Amino acid sequence: MENSAANHMAGSGGGKEFTDPLELLAVVSEDFASSLDLDGAMVRGLKRIVHNLGAEAGSLFLADPDDPGLVCRACVGPVDITGLRLAPGQGIVGQCVDHNVGEIVRNVDGDPRFHRAVDRETGFKTLSVICAPMTVHDERVGAVQVLNKRVGGLFGFQDLNLLKVLAYSMGLAIRNARLAGQLVEQERMRRELELASEIQRSLLPRPTDGIAPVIGLNVPAREVSGDFFDHFDFDDGRTYFCLGDVSGKGMDAALLMAKASSLFRALGKTLREPGRLLGRLNAEICETAAGGRFITMVIGIYDPRTGMVRMANAGHEPPLLFHHDGALSDLPALAPPIGIARGVVADDVYPEQEFGLDGGTLYVFTDGVTEGRMPDGSMLDIKGVTRVLGRTTQLPVRALLETIRDMLCRDGEDLRDDLTLLAVDDSGPCRTRGGHRMELPGRQDEAVPGETLLSLRLPALPERLKLIRAAVGEAARTCGCSPKVVHDVVMAVDEACQNVVRHAYPDGVSGDVGIEAFRDGTRLVFDVRDFSPLPVDVAKVRPRDLEDLRPGGLGTHLIREVMDEVAFLQPARGTGNLLRMVKMVG
Amino acid sequence: MEHDITQNDKATIVAFRGDVDLESSPRARKILLDALDGAAVLLVDMSGVSYIDSSGIASLVESFQTGRAKGTRFALVAVSEPALRVLQLARLDKVFDLHGSVDEALAAG
Repeated sequence: MENSAANHMAGSGGGKEFTDPLELLAVVSEDFASSLDLDGAMVRGLKRIVHNLGAEAGSLFLADPDDPGLVCRACVGPVDITGLRLAPGQGIVGQCVDHNVGEIVRNVDGDPRFHRAVDRETGFKTLSVICAPMTVHDERVGAVQVLNKRVGGLFGFQDLNLLKVLAYSMGLAIRNARLAGQLVEQERMRRELELASEIQRSLLPRPTDGIAPVIGLNVPAREVSGDFFDHFDFDDGRTYFCLGDVSGKGMDAALLMAKASSLFRALGKTLREPGRLLGRLNAEICETAAGGRFITMVIGIYDPRTGMVRMANAGHEPPLLFHHDGALSDLPALAPPIGIARGVVADDVYPEQEFGLDGGTLYVFTDGVTEGRMPDGSMLDIKGVTRVLGRTTQLPVRALLETIRDMLCRDGEDLRDDLTLLAVDDSGPCRTRGGHRMELPGRQDEAVPGETLLSLRLPALPERLKLIRAAVGEAARTCGCSPKVVHDVVMAVDEACQNVVRHAYPDGVSGDVGIEAFRDGTRLVFDVRDFSPLPVDVAKVRPRDLEDLRPGGLGTHLIREVMDEVAFLQPARGTGNLLRMVKMVG
Repeated sequence: MEHDITQNDKATIVAFRGDVDLESSPRARKILLDALDGAAVLLVDMSGVSYIDSSGIASLVESFQTGRAKGTRFALVAVSEPALRVLQLARLDKVFDLHGSVDEALAAG
């Protein structure tokens, strides 16, 4: 179609006579409808009109969407004024557009509206003008003017009427072409956002299978998100996890998120200390981030072999730890967000917390969760989050995360903020730990570690501890230990025996505790063992966090405080667990 | 482990003697929690404690926390050397209210 219109033009040079005005209208309309080149169609249309009206020149002005005036977009005649700007209401064209009426001016000399500056500048002599507005549905698209009728005398009403019809038809085509252009632009932006969103989704870790201990979920409020989470495994089976929230929303928050998450992955491969990694991330982000954005972030390492988590929190909402017995603790941030300034923490190392999940589940989430809106408009709040996650022992963790998502995401309603949750679920690994003894290090050497001072095997009962203490105390005194050292080694052996009394045998099963003491030069070696077929749960006898006043883990802490070496071993003979403690003396 | 409970118009004083260990600490725990019930001030005289283990410390921690919740003042007085050693190792010597004697504790209150 376009080709046929173009050939039509090429053959005639714009000079074909259309005796039938309807034929002219048909050709001009068809050219606009079929051409993808709006500027070309405007020039061709204008040429046909000027030619057909027997005029000297013509120009087409369009309202500028960004500017109140008019600008000449097509021009036919001895001088080219394409690009000429007119102020609103200026000249006959301006008046025509403003009042939305067609005009015949047979002699411009007597007309005060005529804009003479153009003639002065170009040397063109305007004599008469007809001008018709292009207005579609009250939208002032522009106007077409035709100058100086050369053939057939003065411009008449028939000429004006023809121009009006053609101008209307061209205005409609121009407006539609512009709308189509806007749609194309919108579509392009939508596709770009879609692409950004897709790239961002690809930065999130792939959904893990149902039994993986680390599970995450992210729902962006818009196409792109300022939240992120990630996790990956080390060769030794430990998992590095991270969750962050970039302040603000939109594309720039999303770009900073992309940067932070790639840094986490790149630097985390080698920097296996959450506190130091946060320090490095802070330094990197501070070097380049601008515009007052910052990131709250939690980074941790989870070891499924022990259930231990080592975690650092930079200004993020306190993660929640649901213990296997249903108890709840929160872990408030000990340092400010990253990306604000360097040196906010000593030596660029963010403070770490270390704790055992012990079959429990750790949840990290963004404020989009706590500040998310319920159907009645109220905030879900930390209480609501706690209520849902409190069913941790009853439902799979993934189901709980999805419950929270479903509570906050409703069809047809936009989220107010990105929604991101991450769970570290130790229940599965904890069961596995109970079933095998992989975590038990080395086996006890057959050789006796020095001169035997003491060898006892007694029923593991609380009332036998006093006897054990007396025997160990005598052995230590024999070696010339000071009263303080005697106290300390007695206490350490007593605490080790308590672990056997309390944890080695299932309820209702009785068993023995074995105590042996050896001296090898300056080394006093104490072996405390049980005879249980069950492996010791190393996580259970980890030292406790001293900031925490809860009892439990204190005995192990005391042992580690006073002894120089502490190690779990498999006994050389028989089943059971052996704790070897060494005290350097003399 | 043996114990005495004395009461005057200012305080209830529980004195432990001997070993507060895994065998005796459940008893020590009950004695302390019972004494906390209705007392405005509970002082634990630990001058005669020859040995205390982690389970004994746990009983003290629990009583300390219960006292806090009830608004009862809970202090340890005349802590023996072995008991002080364990409190220090557990970093609890800064947590508990420690005094040289019953009189000092009452004067400080």
